[in-house]
Formats: sequence, C-alpha cells, structure tokens
Amino acid sequence: MAASCWPASGFYREKKRNCSARTAIFDGGMMKNKEGEVANRPDNTAFTQQRLPAWQPMLSAGIVIPGFLVIGLVFIGIGVALFLGSQSIQVLESDYTGLNSNTPCYECSDASKKNCTCSIEFTLTKQFDGPVFLYYGLSNFFQNHRKYGVSRDYYQLSGDTAYFKNPSDSCSPYIYDSGVPIVPCGAAANSMFNDSFRLYQLVGGTKKPVPLDGKGISWWTDYNIVFRNPPLVNGSLAAAFNGTAKPVNWAKPAYELDTSDPSNNGFMNEDFLVWMRRAALPDFRKLYRRITQGDYAAGLPVGNYSLEISYNYPVIGFGGRKKIVLSNVSWMGGKNMFLGVAYLVIGSLCIVMSLVMLIVYAKYKFPEGDS
Amino acid sequence: MDKTDSKGAEVTDNTWEVKANCHHFHGQLRRKPFRCFRQRRNAENAVRSYRYTVLTFLPLNLYEQFQRFANIFFLLVVILQCVPAIATIPWYTTLLPLIIVLSVRGMKDLSADLARRRSDSQINSRPCDVLTPAGFTTLQWKDVCIGDVLRIHKDQIIPADLLLLCSSEPHSLCYVETADIDGETNLKYRQALSITHSELISDPAEEALSTFDGNVLCENPNNRLYSFKGDLYWRGKTHRLDIEHILLRGMVLRNTDCAYGLAIYTGSDCKILRNSGQVIVKKTQVEKDFNRVVIGIVLTLLLVAVLMAVGSGLFEYRVSPKMEVLSALGGGSTPVYRGFLAFWGYVILLSPSMPIALYITFEMIHVVHCLLIGWDLHMYWANNDTPAQARSKSLNEELGQVGHLLSDKTGTLTQNRLIFRQCCIAGDIYGSTSLSAEDAKPLDLSWNPYSYGGLHFHDQRLVDRLVKQQCPQSQEFLTSLVLCHTVMSEWKNGTIRYQAASPDEEALVVAARELGWVFLSRTRDSLTINALGQTLNYELLALLDFTSDRRRMSVLVREPGGGLKLYCKGADVVILERLQKDSPHQESTARALEIFAQGCLRTLCVAVRTVTEQQWQKWRDGLQEGEALVEELHGRMERELMLLGVTAIEDRLQDGVPEAISSLRQAGIKVWVLTGDKTETAVNVGYSCRLIDPDTNLLQGEELRQLLQSPTPEIRSFKDLDVWCIDNRPPWSKVTVVITGHQLADLMEEPEWGARFVALSNQCQSVLCCRVTPGQKAEVVRLIRKHTSSVTLAIGDGANDVNMIKTAHIGVGLCGVEGSQAVQNADFALSQFSFLCRLLLVHGHWSYYRICKFLHYFLFKTTAFALVHIWFGFFSGFSAQPLYETWFIPFYTIAYTSMPVQCLAIFEQDVSAEGCLRWAALYKTGQRRDLFSPATLAASLLYSVYTSLVLCLLPLGAFHSTALDYQTLAITVATSAVFTVTIEIIIQTRYWTKYNIAAICLSLALYFILTLIVHSKILHDKLPADFYFTGVIIIAFSDPVVWLTILLTTCTATLPSLTGLALNVVLTQSSKHRVHSMMLPTQVRRPGGFRRGGVLRHSSYAMSQGAGFGRLITSGTGLHATAPAQEGAEAAANGTKENNDKL
Repeated sequence: MAASCWPASGFYREKKRNCSARTAIFDGGMMKNKEGEVANRPDNTAFTQQRLPAWQPMLSAGIVIPGFLVIGLVFIGIGVALFLGSQSIQVLESDYTGLNSNTPCYECSDASKKNCTCSIEFTLTKQFDGPVFLYYGLSNFFQNHRKYGVSRDYYQLSGDTAYFKNPSDSCSPYIYDSGVPIVPCGAAANSMFNDSFRLYQLVGGTKKPVPLDGKGISWWTDYNIVFRNPPLVNGSLAAAFNGTAKPVNWAKPAYELDTSDPSNNGFMNEDFLVWMRRAALPDFRKLYRRITQGDYAAGLPVGNYSLEISYNYPVIGFGGRKKIVLSNVSWMGGKNMFLGVAYLVIGSLCIVMSLVMLIVYAKYKFPEGDS
Repeated sequence: MDKTDSKGAEVTDNTWEVKANCHHFHGQLRRKPFRCFRQRRNAENAVRSYRYTVLTFLPLNLYEQFQRFANIFFLLVVILQCVPAIATIPWYTTLLPLIIVLSVRGMKDLSADLARRRSDSQINSRPCDVLTPAGFTTLQWKDVCIGDVLRIHKDQIIPADLLLLCSSEPHSLCYVETADIDGETNLKYRQALSITHSELISDPAEEALSTFDGNVLCENPNNRLYSFKGDLYWRGKTHRLDIEHILLRGMVLRNTDCAYGLAIYTGSDCKILRNSGQVIVKKTQVEKDFNRVVIGIVLTLLLVAVLMAVGSGLFEYRVSPKMEVLSALGGGSTPVYRGFLAFWGYVILLSPSMPIALYITFEMIHVVHCLLIGWDLHMYWANNDTPAQARSKSLNEELGQVGHLLSDKTGTLTQNRLIFRQCCIAGDIYGSTSLSAEDAKPLDLSWNPYSYGGLHFHDQRLVDRLVKQQCPQSQEFLTSLVLCHTVMSEWKNGTIRYQAASPDEEALVVAARELGWVFLSRTRDSLTINALGQTLNYELLALLDFTSDRRRMSVLVREPGGGLKLYCKGADVVILERLQKDSPHQESTARALEIFAQGCLRTLCVAVRTVTEQQWQKWRDGLQEGEALVEELHGRMERELMLLGVTAIEDRLQDGVPEAISSLRQAGIKVWVLTGDKTETAVNVGYSCRLIDPDTNLLQGEELRQLLQSPTPEIRSFKDLDVWCIDNRPPWSKVTVVITGHQLADLMEEPEWGARFVALSNQCQSVLCCRVTPGQKAEVVRLIRKHTSSVTLAIGDGANDVNMIKTAHIGVGLCGVEGSQAVQNADFALSQFSFLCRLLLVHGHWSYYRICKFLHYFLFKTTAFALVHIWFGFFSGFSAQPLYETWFIPFYTIAYTSMPVQCLAIFEQDVSAEGCLRWAALYKTGQRRDLFSPATLAASLLYSVYTSLVLCLLPLGAFHSTALDYQTLAITVATSAVFTVTIEIIIQTRYWTKYNIAAICLSLALYFILTLIVHSKILHDKLPADFYFTGVIIIAFSDPVVWLTILLTTCTATLPSLTGLALNVVLTQSSKHRVHSMMLPTQVRRPGGFRRGGVLRHSSYAMSQGAGFGRLITSGTGLHATAPAQEGAEAAANGTKENNDKL
C-alpha cells in the first residue's frame, strides 16, 4: 500500500492482473483499520479508477497504407461509375433567352411584347431514351437570397384563411395590392416563372404533339403536407379566394393557374410548388414536365422536333438567362459530371497518398533495419 | 506586564469600545451609520459565507454569470435576433444553448452555495458557555455577543476573539494550539493581566465575573494576527493590552481546564475571518491562451461580418436594382443601409462559431477530472483515511506541464516523525538501520510499566545490559537523555504525554522512557524521573538552552546523592571539541558517526561532566555579576566533558519519496528543495531521497557566488544556453546548487543575478535552498516564474509553506502533522509526497492531453460548422442566408456534437497509468507545450476553415446545374458537417470505452431522430412558419446523389486529418519500440548504504520549530508549585515572539 505510486510490473497486457493485485493489497491494508476509519475510501470501480475496459486501436503502417489504397480504389470505383453513368445520360440544353438576333426567341426578348411565342427546332440523330424530363433553367436569379426566401407566408400557403385577410409581414412589400391582401403573398410567389412549353415532333411536315406530363413533378410532401388550398366555399376554389388579390406579376389568379385541370389550381398547382421550392444556387433548373406517355414513353425517337415557347418571363433586365433542358435520368438522377470527377480526384489523391506513405515508410524503416 | 498606564489617552485610534457584561450597550451599538447592514452582524457571532437567498439567487446569479464575456456576447446576440430586419436566424437558435449553459452553471453555483450554508450552520451551532445573569449557560456560537464573558473548556475551539480574563492555571496562563491559524502544532501560551487574574478568580467563577464591568477600548477590527492594541479601563485604571492577552477565534485551548474571556470581536470581525481574504482564482496558461483565441474569434467574426457587409452593399448596389424582386425586397433603402443590416445579420449568423458551450463544458470536465483525482485509490492514504483532494477546480491541465517542483523538506519529503534508531554508547553501536522499522521484532518491554510503545529501536543487547545494570555508561547515557532536555510532561488518560519544542527531544525522551528511564515531571528547579522503577528527584541548578549558535544544550543538576553533574548534548563538532583530552572511545565514536551519517541519521553527541561545588559557586557568582558574557560563561561550564555516546535519530523519509523524486526527475521536472533547515541536513536528505545522485558535485558558497558574480566568458555563455548546454552537459548535469537564505537575499537584490541563477539552476541537477524563511520561499517561486516560462508547483505541509503555495502556479498541500494551513491554501491536497508522482505523471498528463484535445476539437467543430456561412454568402448575394435549417444550429451545439467530445475529455488515455509512470519522459510533452500552442491552434483553425470550405463548396458543386433545391442542400451540408465532426472525434479518440461508443451512436441517432421530428408533419401543422423543412429528410435521403455528396464531402473534409493520422503512424511506428526501449529506466538503483566517499555528517536538532521551553522552565512559569515570576511573563512573551518571528 505504501508505494502505491508504483506499479508492480508489467504493462498493457498485465494491466488487469495488476489492478486486481493492487486491490488485494488495498483490502489487506484495510483489515488493519476499523470499519469506520475508511469512510472516505474511494470506491474501487473501473470508472473511478479510470480503468474502464477499452479498445485501443493500434494503427500500424500495415493497416494505414492499404487502408488509404482501399479508400482510393473505392472512390475511383464510385467515380468511374458516376462518370460512366453521367456519360450515358443524354442531355439537350438550349438557351432561349434570345439575346442574339439570330436566335429564335430574339423578338420575344423585348419586354414590351405580350403573349409572344417562339419555337426552337432541333434534330435528334439518336434515340433519346425515356423517361425524358423537361427542365427549365434560370441563371443569375437569386432565389437563395435570404430576403427572397423569407418573403412568403407559410400559414397562408397551408390554407389558413385567417392569413388570407392578414398576410404575414414577412411578405413585405408584396402584402397588399391597393389595399387588398395578396394571396399568395410575398416575393417568391410573385416572381413565379410563367413561360410555358409545348413539344412537337415534326413528322413529314406535321406537328405531332409530344404529351408532357405535369403530374408528380413536385415533392410529394409539398403536395400532400406543406401546401394546402383553403377550404372550398360552395364547392368553388375561386370563392375561397374571394377578397384577395392575385400577385401583381401574375397574369391570372392562383385558382386559374391551370385551366385544363381544375384540381391543379390554387396552392396545389404543381408548377407553383416547384417554383416555391427555392433553388440552392443563383443558377438553377427546375423540373417542368416529364415525357412518360403515349408513343414517347420509351423516349424520343430519332427525328426533328420543335419546342414552342410562350415567352413571358423577363430575365434580360438583371442579366439572367433562360434555358430549356431535355434530359433522361439514370439511377443517380440527372447528369452530374462534378460528382464523378470529384470522386476520381479524391480517389487518386488517396492512392497518391498511400504511395507517398509507402515510400516514407520504406525510407524510415529500412535504415533502421540496417542498424 | 500590567503596566498601569496613566497616559492611556495618547492612543487615539482606539475607537472600538467593548463593555463587559453590558448586553444592551452592544445591542444598540452604532459603528458607522451608513453601513447599517454590517452593523447588524457585528453584534453577533454568526458567520455567513453563503451568497444566495431564495429571493436573491436568480438576479444575483444571473448578474454574476453575465459578467462572463461569452454569456454577455450571446445575450447581445439574442437581443439582436429580436430585431426582425437582421434576424437571419431566429432567436431560439441562440437562446436555447444560452439557457442550457446558464442553468447548468446556476445549478452548480446553487449546490456550492448550499454546501456553504450547511457548513456555516454547522459552525454557527457549535456550543459554548456564555455568562448570563443565571450563570454560565451553554449557547451556540452564533449567540455570542460582544461584551459577553465566555467560559472555554479544555480542547474547545475559541468561538470569537476574546480578551483572556483569567484561567484555571496558575498566573492565569493558558495554552493554546494555533494550528488553524498559523499551522504550528506546538503549544503557545497566553496570559491574562495580573489585575484580572487576581481579582476575577473566585469560586464559583460566575461571582466575580458577573460583576466585571471593565471597558475595553481598542483598535477597530483588522486582519493583523500578531498585533493588538487596546486598553482595559477598569476601576479607574488603565491597563495596556496586547496580543498576548487575546485568544483568537480558531485557537484550541490545550492543557488548561478552563479559561474565561471577554468577547471583543465577533463573527466576521474576528481576526481570522478578516484574514480569509478574497480567494485568488488561478487560471491556467492553456485557459488564458484559449481565452485569447476566443477573443480572436470574436474579432475575426466582426471583421468577416464587415467584409460580408461590404459585399452585401456592393451586391445591393450592383445587382439588386436590376432585379425587380430584390429591389422591391430592399424596400427603397440605400445599399449602405442594407450593408449595415447585413453586418448585423452576419454577426448573428456567425455567432455560433464562438463556442458558447465551451466554458461550461470546460468547467464540467475540470470538475470530473478533480473528482477522478479524489477517487483515485492510489492516492488514498488509508492510515489517516484521506483521499487526495482537488480544492481548486481549474488547474488540472497545468498539472501536466509542471517544470519546476518546489518542495518543502520537513513534513513533506520527510515524515516529520523522528525516530530513535541507533545509538553508540562507549563505542558500541546498538540498533541497526538494515531492517525497516516495521519489520523488526519488537523488544520485550513488558517489564517497564511506563512503556506505551512508539519505540523503533531493536537491540536486545542494550536492554539486557540496562536491565541487568551491567553497564554504568549506558545508564549514565540514558540518565543524560532523561535529564537534559526542555520537554514538559503531562498526564493524560493515565499515560504520560510529552510536549516538546523540538521533535528530536521528544524522540529521545520517549526512547529513554521505553528503555526504563522515565521522565515524570518537572518543576522550576527539579526534575523527577523514574529509573528502572526507582523514582529519583534531581535538583535543577541551571539549564543552558539550545540556540542555533551554540548548537548544544546542557543541564546542571544535583543528583539525589548530592553530586553535581552537567549533562550536555549537541552537535558532534561542538561536543567533540569540548571533550577531555583523554576521553575514551573517541575513535570508535567517530566511526559510529560516519556509519550513522551514511544511514542518513541525525546524530547528537551526549556528554557528561562532574562539577564541583566550587565551580558551581564560581559560575553562579559570575552569572549574577557579569551578565554581558553569558555565552562565555556557559562555554566555561561546558568543557572538559566526558563523552557518553551518540544518539542517532532518523528523520524518516515518507514512503516512496526517493522513487517519486527520481521518477519526477526523469519526467524532466526540476526539483528544488526549500527548507528552513541547515545545509547539511538538507543535503543529506537530498542524497537519501535521490534528489542528488551519489556522484554529484555540490556548487555552493563562495564558488557559487563567484560564478554568479564574475562575468567570465563561461557565465556569459549562459545566455547562449543551447551551445553551452551541449558543450558542458556532462559536468553540469551532475551539479547541484546549494544556496542559503543569506545568499538568496543578496541574490534578490541584483536582478541580473536572479536571471543568471535561474539559468544556471536550470542546467543543474537540482537546487537546495537552505535556511530560507517562508517569505524567501515565495521569493524563489517568484524568481522562477519571472525568469522562466515553466509552470511551478510548490508542495508543503506547514504554515511556513503557505506563501510559497500561494505564489506558485499550483500549490499542493500535504495533510501532515503541522495543521491544516497548507491544505487550506493549496490547490490540491495530498496525504503523501509520493502521490505527487501519480498526480502529475498520471492525472496531470492525462488532464493536459485530454483538455488540449478537447479544446482543439471544440474549436474545430464550432468554427468548421459556422464558417460555412461565409462561403455560402458568395453564392447567395451576401444576404446572410443560413445554409442550415435553423433548428439544426442549436441542436448541433447541444445534442449532435457535445457528448462524444465530453467522453473524450473524460476517458481518453494516450498511455495507461502504468505507462505514464514507467515512461516518465512522456510527461515532457506537457512541459514543451506540444499539444497546445499557437501553432497547433492555428493548424486547428486552418483545418476548420478548410473543412468549412469543403462542406460548402463540394455540395454546391454537386448540386450545380441540377434540380436539387436549397433545402436538400441544407440537409446535405448539415449531414456532412455532423459526419465530419463525428469522424474527426473518431480519429481523435484512441481509447474506446463503451461510453465513447454510446455517445457517438447516440449523437448520430439524435441527429436523425431530431431531424425527423423537426421535419415531421405534426410540427409543421402546428407551427408552419417555424418548421418548414417538412419531409426534407425523407425525400433528400432517398436520393442517391445526396448520399454520394455526403460521402464525398465527409471524406474530403476529413482527408487532411486522416492523412495526418496515417503519416503519424507511418513515421512514428517504425521507431516506436526504439523510443520506448530508450525511455525505459536504465538507471540501476544502488542498494542503500554506502552512497559516496565522503559522507557529510549531520548533527543537529530540527530547528524549524523555534526555541524550546527552556526559559519558561527555568523561570518556572506555568509549572505548578513554583514561586511567582515576574520574568515568567517576559519569558513567555519572548518565547512567543520567537515563535512569531518564525512566521
């Protein structure tokens, strides 16, 4: 008990035995004292004595170098898979902003023109495998600006009619239109993208419409949980929106967004939902339609196509661009070269690192072996 | 002493008036009208150290907490968040952690305060006897008022500062123990004024005391323990009072049946309570450095916010006006104003990078580390049932960085328990040191009725010779031991107790008693002993007391037979030169002295001389006439001695001290021993405790002075330490500097010398400072602190070490025999010196390792997660758009990342306890500050900047030109951040207990569960504006791209750390075994015994305890049946003064 500072012998392996031996010594020492005299004796538990059973991973060069190699190889594997996956994805991208006079939508780019349509024609020399997704893209549009993001009323969007009369202050300055509350209020709704597209296959001079499917393009949580239309008044959505104004930039009120499908109106309009889901970057694309029906369910066959654009949304004022993207998807979603390349780079880095370590290890180890 | 002073009025500042037995006067006493609440207390004796009441707890505690920079910072952030224009993240993100931090700390303060309350009420309810009109009544301490007359019984603690009126002892003397005040355990005496003594003694005592109507005018309460000014006005006369008449609160009455006193100062006015000043909170270097880092973070945060505001202003100036939506959102304000708002927005957004929970976690970890110190069975001393105790809760990591250990000697390295181990009588050596005291067969002393044990002397030969009375010389030897001393005896519970000023004397008298020569009692001029059952009475003619100059003491006695004998004992050098020329056994005695010295025993030579009546007469006449030359007269008596023998006393080292010191030295700790003892004693203890190697040269005296004084090239090279140390290492590492208090005092005067001395000392093996005063001990600590950057640790056990303990970075007190003063002032309390080794090498090393890791990791995890917002600002128009869901921010701090790092800080071990002790050199990492330095902090911050960049840019890159939205990005970045810091803690953790694994699993599980809850439908339905991430976790996590991005981001973010770990493994692993084999102690431990050629003999008393009772004995004060003694009080005064001087 005296030289308790001193371990009897042994180290890691004998640790446990030492401890028990020491405990025995302690107990022996206690026998001499009366029971009451050891009132302050600390508990002899693994926790208090800091000898909790523990796993101490002993890393060695033999684990670390192959470990890095394995990580590198796995990453390169993922990278190659992503890269090939991306390569196999067909993408057709077209900027239709109409900045140059030789572009089809040049006339429409003049903001004063209303209800302007233009069309882009393109030829597929190869079958475009389905399902094909149609995206629209905007650039230099700061949907991720903080003030833009907060400029909406979640209560209103969840169908709470109390906020139809009194929209939240966060919608400022798009709360009232000449005294009438705006529904849906806020900058996000007000700036909703309102170009529309129609796709035709040109078969022998006739335009064969390609059916575009607008169902299920939004998040199902948005569609089912977050956004709610106000309760119908007398079976009419329009009546429910009574006493409210449409957002100033909108051509039609919310309950008339889709005239073809009555259920696709109000806050349950899927284009609206897609737009309200903020983009992460100032350059973004959003899903517009899917081509899943009819003759085109398996994809777009070889041929000439025409995309008719109803050009409404002004972007040139802030230096933005609009584009339309046709793309098919693989297991990993759309085309994403960045991920594949990044995986390849990081994987190669790991392999280089493991080689460096191997060299360092050899250099440090063998001189010692000699001596 | 009762100077009746007619000019009492000359004292002007005596404004504190105490009227005895005049309760109503003190009831309405007004001291200073404007401090009325103090007034209320000054009449009572209750102490109040607690701070909070039910009503004041909340405001007071919050006030205290908001004095901390971090808390006030976050409070400001919360207030800022209430301004809608800049509330980039909602108020609850900051308030939630802040409330948790405040409440945890509040609970801690509350429990501490409750403990104080308990201890207060325990003290306040101690009983004491107060004189009331109905006689003495037992009341509680808190009921004592100024002016009350108290009765104190033997062994009671004095409840307030009292004026001693009278006592049951002759001359109203009373003995007190002052261990709680100055730490000294030897008895002091206080004496009442003779006027009160003679007038107030009555039977029963109440009679005279209740009519006592004295009036004391004295100075206001102060903290001077050793002075008191006042006057007693009684019956028209003025009596000057001083500290000799005062019993201080905290003293313990000893050897006195009862004492009566008048309460002068009560409660918080007592001198001892006035003395307990503000506790200086020591902070560790690590904490100070980290505070600087935190300030740096805040400044950086503000700077970044300014830059982001500029960016925002530019964006608002150049981009927004073109974009209808954004310009409308701007609301027509100028870009500058919007930039200004963005500044505050970014201050709020980046505020999580300031580690809010750090301080409270840091404190909690310190508390756990302190508990672990207290729980360590290896630092529990069963003999006195005391575990180690960490009194200061903030110094743990500094225990792992100690560079200089300053140790007291007596009671710290040694047990301060002196044991009579050997003796040499007439050339024969009795006893041996080869057996340790416990192992040897005890002597059969059953024939001796006065044997109470306590002898560690094992030689039956001597006992046989004594009992059979064969050896007159050994009888004479023991007679001299039993007569020549200044010990006082006392009967207690049927046994004899001895009170000695010097522990050496006590050891000798006890040894003589056990061997049959019993010292029974003494009066002023006689000694009664019992020699082998025969009671003898010696007349004491003269007692020539010990002084440090004389280094010997003598008694002149008249034997029962009538002969005169002078017994003398003293240091060998002094005695040997005073022997008769033909005194026998000189050679054999010299040999014995050598042997004893090698055994590190303290020796005293004992000699006798027969004195004739004429010599005695002549001497006495000389003494009465020419008092100027007392020394010379004494010297004339103490010569022509006949050597009887040599006693050898062991000043036993504490168990394990040599091992501990050699281990600490291996750990690179410079051990300095500071002692009030003599050089020889200190050096010998130094050798025996392996502080000094056997082949070490001592550098001392003139040599040292010259070395420090002369600016020779050699000295100059001190400045160029590296070169110097390589060139001269072999000789210098074998040098020990020995310096005395006088030299030290010279040293302090020349600042340059101090630097040189410390530089020199750092190259030497160790330093011994002998004959230093308590003040000088502290000076030495200050010297080291001034000239080196190393952490100092002072360890001591007595009141004389308190200065040093308080001055050093870390003070360690040993719960020794010398009272509790050292422990009271220490940061850590141990029972044994050897525990220090475990405290430093194991607990200190671990604490340092853990806390450094903890701080780095904490810094990393908070900054890496918060800095992301800077980079995202470049993509979101500097709009202070958070990249995380708002709920993620508080939960990240509270739930997702807090537990694993706490487990790391509690359980982590780089090397097992055995390993820490075995490879003491591992301790050097702390001394070199390897684990926590500006470089490591910068690396950590750089790494977190890198991580934040990766966390932001890789997901942005992956999401570029995809249809993935902001909320998916947010959860991708958040998940990557949680995974990254979790992997980082996995990399950092080397010691995986079940708690670590549980904490990590729980944190990750909490992340997914809490995110699911926050993203749930129910919460959104209730509060759509606060929970608008509904369903994101489900949709995002079903997208493989999100997972691939998380994997990529996490791996890239942790790649530097992983690479560092791997390179570390590769680089060190090959040489690991070599390092370890080098670290193994190669030193072969020599068997004890012959340590070196010329052993210094050491022969002295332990003089650290002040002068003995010699004058008191010769004057007869305090001894029953003696003549009245005017000089007695004087002697007492002098004696105590000497004691006081020691402080």
